[in-house]
Amino acid sequence: MTNDGAVLSIQGLSRRFGSREVVRSLDLSMARGERIALWGPNGSGKTTVLRCVAGTLTPTAGRVEIVGHPAGALQARRLVGASLAQERSFYLRLSGHANLMFFARLRYDSEREAAAGVAALEDELELGEIARQRADRCSSGMIQQLAIARALLGDPAVILLDEPTKSLDADARGRLWAAIDRRPNAAVLFATHLDSDLEHCDERLSFPV
Amino acid sequence: MLALVRRDFQVTRSYRLPFALDLVYGFINLLVYFFISKTFEGARTANLGAAPSYFAFVTVGIAITVVIGAASSGLAARIREEQLTGTLEALMAQPLTATEVALGLAGFPFLFAVVRAALYILIAGTVFGLPLGEADWLGFVLCLTVAGVALSALGVLVGSLVLVIKRGELLAGMIPFAMGLLSGAFFPVSVLPGWLEVIGRVVPTRFAFDGLRAAVFEGAGWEADTVTLALIALVGLPIAIAFFAKALAYGRRSGTLGQY
Repeated sequence: MTNDGAVLSIQGLSRRFGSREVVRSLDLSMARGERIALWGPNGSGKTTVLRCVAGTLTPTAGRVEIVGHPAGALQARRLVGASLAQERSFYLRLSGHANLMFFARLRYDSEREAAAGVAALEDELELGEIARQRADRCSSGMIQQLAIARALLGDPAVILLDEPTKSLDADARGRLWAAIDRRPNAAVLFATHLDSDLEHCDERLSFPV
Repeated sequence: MLALVRRDFQVTRSYRLPFALDLVYGFINLLVYFFISKTFEGARTANLGAAPSYFAFVTVGIAITVVIGAASSGLAARIREEQLTGTLEALMAQPLTATEVALGLAGFPFLFAVVRAALYILIAGTVFGLPLGEADWLGFVLCLTVAGVALSALGVLVGSLVLVIKRGELLAGMIPFAMGLLSGAFFPVSVLPGWLEVIGRVVPTRFAFDGLRAAVFEGAGWEADTVTLALIALVGLPIAIAFFAKALAYGRRSGTLGQY
């Protein structure tokens, strides 16, 4: 953590794509256990902020730090679990379980820990059927649940969720928020345009900023 | 890195037919050159180096071209697949270094190609009577492995290009073919026109072809070529990985890691 106790610190974040400035001078600080919703219509820059925190997009200006490490640095990526662009980000020829095992091996120190981590998440999120199915035979809602499980692998300090409930049924939404509740030390930053998601956050940040 | 190799193995294994078809294709390829070699049996040939016949010469050429192809274009093909399936951004959000990504993605295509190359030579020996009695198999494995690592430097460079420009398949496909053609996969470099022969003699793959033919057919004389390839790997691979890291940084800056 930084001196002020923030696990996530965003200072003056701006991101431009060509001539279009999608995010302008965003400041945000999150402590452990805090949940903030980035709320706004499609195309307002919410996902851009998540990608900057995940380290897959470099800000045009400003700083993003995870527990004092610049976003995108190896140490920062270890601390962040992200569910981005969930509709299309799995290996379609592999089962849900094989996909989760692959990503778990990148985050855990040993094969045994990875297997235990995946088994625990499959149990917690009730992914039995989804884990057995090949990803190309899963519906978008099933894939979304897999993406959430991937974001939770390795108990990250910062969890990023992009439209986490968009394709989920009521039961799956319940399991998602219950899983988040069981991680009181994680800072959760999620993007949504759904009013119903806002009851699960401490604060909302309206977009565009 | 091993996680990436294992994942690619799982994906490849899920397509069963191409495994078998690849072997059939390799067999037919050998068959064609076997009969070409028969056609000109007894005819005077250019210096074939360590190879006792044109069929022996070209069998090693074909086998090594498979490895060259995988080493030089395997990573590029894997990156392009990650771009098309949308998994590249998810992968880059994981705690992996540029070296781990580059070598991990190149790993399975390379290992698979080494197995295919060894199978081709084995088939040539058992079915087509290729003389393998003198082979130094340790030398063969060492030379093949070092050649693959050296040529991977080129593959990582092409992979960097695909990260930036995306459509690099044509270049990735052309490189192994051009290198094989120039450096003695299908005919000795001595038959090339003088100026092209000079180029052919310094193309890194030439050392692979010469070293492997020496290991397989003479059981000696592969060491110098292997050392040269090791030097190429030592210099080339770090440079290529530095380029790859730059290409990844460019993808993060331009926001193109999630694009097709």
